[in-house]
Amino acid sequence: MAAVSPARANALLLGVMSFAQLLLMAASVRGGMASTGVAATVGGVSRPAASAGRSVSEILLDVAHFFRDVHADDVANVKLRLEVTRLAGELSRTQELTQENERLRRLLGMHEDLAPKSIGASVVTARLGSQSRVILVDRGSGHGVRPDMAVVAWGGAVGRVVSVETGFARVRLLSDPNSGAAGVVARSRAEGMIVGRGAEPMEMIYVPKYADVAVGDRVVTSGLDGVFPRGFGLGRVTVVGEPVGASKSIRVEPEVDDRSIEDVLILLEPTGTRLLETDEPEPRP
Amino acid sequence: MIVLWAMLGIGLALAFELGLGRVAPAATHYVAIMTLPLATYALRTSQRSSMVVGCVSGLLQDFWLEPRLFGLNGLVKTFLGWALGGLGARFDLNNFWGRFAAGACVHLVDEGLQTVLRKLFGDAVTPVDAGSLAIRAVAGGLLTAGVLSIVGKFGTSRRPPRQKPRRG
Repeated sequence: MAAVSPARANALLLGVMSFAQLLLMAASVRGGMASTGVAATVGGVSRPAASAGRSVSEILLDVAHFFRDVHADDVANVKLRLEVTRLAGELSRTQELTQENERLRRLLGMHEDLAPKSIGASVVTARLGSQSRVILVDRGSGHGVRPDMAVVAWGGAVGRVVSVETGFARVRLLSDPNSGAAGVVARSRAEGMIVGRGAEPMEMIYVPKYADVAVGDRVVTSGLDGVFPRGFGLGRVTVVGEPVGASKSIRVEPEVDDRSIEDVLILLEPTGTRLLETDEPEPRP
Repeated sequence: MIVLWAMLGIGLALAFELGLGRVAPAATHYVAIMTLPLATYALRTSQRSSMVVGCVSGLLQDFWLEPRLFGLNGLVKTFLGWALGGLGARFDLNNFWGRFAAGACVHLVDEGLQTVLRKLFGDAVTPVDAGSLAIRAVAGGLLTAGVLSIVGKFGTSRRPPRQKPRRG
């Protein structure tokens, strides 16, 4: 029997390995057990290396934060004081508005919409590629996290949980090209769909041609996608495109910067699924 | 022993990849640290070992950082290990410019193949920006050349030295 040359043997090995991994990819798309089993094995083996990386990065971050805090200058402090003063004024105004809102809700016979139950999580790592943008957070199935849960941060919506393991979850960011969220322009209530464009600003599509949208308008979640409760910030309009057909495309600068997310909230239940209860009339004295 | 060194190298690369994503997430747009083990093995050892190292490091990257297609990075890096290992066996790339070119090409092909495969599997893809691709190539080339020069100080290549063909 003739011996196979090393080059041919390597080409054969490449073919076999490529075919096996194509099967893995197909299985992962379909949610097959084979890919889950291989992934669990790979994850179990690599956990120590991941923990080491996390520890080292935490130390580096702590050192960086220490030096940043030490060099915080007086200008920043003055700015902060002014901001605190401004926020204190806004807080009292907000309290007034909250009371007024409560009164109006009661008048309308609406039930107070409770804040969604959530769990805090820290970002373990991030991958911000042009075709895939994902973060890993340190809360997983053991903490009640499930796929398709909404993830928010200080300032607005961040993304959606796509897969969970025991101790962590992968979150696809809104800027990922495969992400989508139902949005509404806060000022004019023009609705559309926010889709990610990688490193570029997000795009709001399916906005009616004659909708009233201007540069600077704030876009928030509308709640129609069944993932994000309504009212979370998505971004601000930077470009209003020319109408194509019945709709126009709008560029939206994200409200939350992907590069600076450190802690997030995972919403354990969407508020939209809760049925409104009718208030019992209070008995007269 | 070679397996232990490979495991150590891949483990270190994974730790750095995850650490970089925590410390400087924006840098992950330009640098793919998980390509370094396969480039090291392709230029310093055999084609077969670089394929295996590429496959393992790609699957690890898939597990930790790929939201949907498990096996995508494994497949791409297996191919890269095969291609670079083949080139490394034919040409002498163990000098600064050779390593730089190898690293730049690996980073570019990695991005290109991932985009094509994602498209084939029905994912939405964005047009690739030429400017960020150029930065990616330069950053990848410099990183690969730097890491390989450091690795070169701690050990010798297992590949036997090439003999110049005799004339006449």
